[in-house]
Amino acid sequence: MSEQNMIEVNSIEKRYERKIALSSLSFVVKKGELVALIGPSGAGKTTLLNLLASLLEPDSGELKVDGKPLSQYADRRQRARKIGLIRQQFDLVGQLAVIHNVLAGRLAEWSLLKSFASLFIPQEKDKAVDALKRVGLEDKLYERTSNLSGGEQQRVALARLLMQKPEVILADEPVASLDPARSEDILAMLTGLAKQENQTVVASLHSVEYARKYFTRLIALKNGDIFFDLPSHQVTEQQLQELYQLKELN
Amino acid sequence: MLSFDLHKRKLLTAFLLLLFAWSLFGVNWQEGVLHSSGLGTAMEIFAAMFQPDLSADIIRLAVHSSWITLAYATAGISLALILALVFGILASGVLAGGKGSRKMMKGFFRGVLGFMRAIHELVWAWLFVASFGLTPYAAVFALAIPYGGILGRIFADMINDVPEEPIQALRAAGASRLQCLFYGYLPSVKASMISYTMYRYECAVRSSAIMSFVGLGGLGYQIQLSLDDLHYDEVWTFMYFLILLIILIDGWSNMLRKRMAL
Ligand SMILES: Nc1ncnc2c1ncn2[C@@H]1O[C@H](COP(=O)(O)OP(=O)(O)OP(=O)(O)O)[C@@H](O)[C@H]1O
Ligand SMILES: [Mg+2]
Repeated sequence: MSEQNMIEVNSIEKRYERKIALSSLSFVVKKGELVALIGPSGAGKTTLLNLLASLLEPDSGELKVDGKPLSQYADRRQRARKIGLIRQQFDLVGQLAVIHNVLAGRLAEWSLLKSFASLFIPQEKDKAVDALKRVGLEDKLYERTSNLSGGEQQRVALARLLMQKPEVILADEPVASLDPARSEDILAMLTGLAKQENQTVVASLHSVEYARKYFTRLIALKNGDIFFDLPSHQVTEQQLQELYQLKELN
Repeated sequence: MLSFDLHKRKLLTAFLLLLFAWSLFGVNWQEGVLHSSGLGTAMEIFAAMFQPDLSADIIRLAVHSSWITLAYATAGISLALILALVFGILASGVLAGGKGSRKMMKGFFRGVLGFMRAIHELVWAWLFVASFGLTPYAAVFALAIPYGGILGRIFADMINDVPEEPIQALRAAGASRLQCLFYGYLPSVKASMISYTMYRYECAVRSSAIMSFVGLGGLGYQIQLSLDDLHYDEVWTFMYFLILLIILIDGWSNMLRKRMAL
């Protein structure tokens, strides 16, 4: 594995009105690492991922992706090549056919004319079929996306990421509304594909079990702060109990 | 808190009832409301309902007038649809970049749409007839402007109600604002847009019939002529044709909706 720093978070802070969501957080993620963000509800996982996806701006501190401050990724093409996002299933446009949701991963590279024409005559169809094959959905090409099950929709979102091919994948509770079998299926696929392409993944998860099974490193957040940051196999039950404890022991 | 709210609502209800009662006093029931020969005429009109004039001449005239009414309505609503798409998308503000320019764009184009629909189609018709004379353009524009305003406003609201998440996901995949429009907003609202436009098409047929009272020809004009001649049986023939038009459009709209639900 290369030692290149893919994500550098340098004492970032984020406040909502007076509530501090993240307080002076710092960590570094190397290229190819599979990082799971865990921690109780309200710990700041979504906030952190949204900051990395530049859906939010930090109040202070610095975020670098591949050595370059996030603010310098003003060009949507550059940003899309670098950072991809996957969340829960309402991330897809339900009224579009599956193929168009998958091809949406190419929009950054396409001209307006080409993307418009593609809605009538799908462009680069082979690539979309390929991506759908890799997630096992090649038979649903022209199905209306909202007719698919939650697990299938999440696989469509994965296929879109395959088209986009970002170097960093940010995933916010990618399996929150799926049953255990589907969850494992999606996580295995996400981390497996990322390994093949040497992509870096940062995913928030509510299940510690899955986090340990599929990810190489766990960053635990609590009250907007890092509670621990360890390789998966070094995390102890004691630490996890303290992380999810409702009241602080005094 | 709750009991207070309930109390307030009761007060409001009472106030509205009073307002209604007061409005009844506002109408002068003694004179002007009923015809002198009132009931007799009403009975005659009612009786004619079951004996519409089905002679070949009248049917031919009814078909021709229905055609004119439908043609005006169709041309009007088509033009309205184009206006509504352009102004509605602009008024939704989704094409603007920054927060400030989005607000300005929304404000400006919502104002334009408001102006278009603030004036009733009949008033537009008077204005256009007064300025251009009795041309089909007067009828078509008179319909297109207020209907464009109504459709555009609804389209803008529909676009603004599209959930944020899929759009954010498209943005994250690198889509531009126009690409988001074609891949996110428009597919999400297409079905409701078509369904609402078809409903407005029905309304446009009725308006187009009324419009012909202004002297532009069509079913309404024929109804007026027959009423003046006291030929109530003819009146009903034309009315039935109007109803038929509405039913046809309703059927078409149902067909469209079913096909889109697939
Ligand atoms: N838009 C907002 N406005 C105000 N406060 C917010 C907003 N979004 C999040 N917060 C607050 O910031 C804190 C962190 O929220 P965040 O959504 O990042 O938590 P999370 O770790 O993702 O939780 P969950 O596991 O429930 O998704 C919470 O206390 C939340 O109440
Ligand atoms: Mg969250």
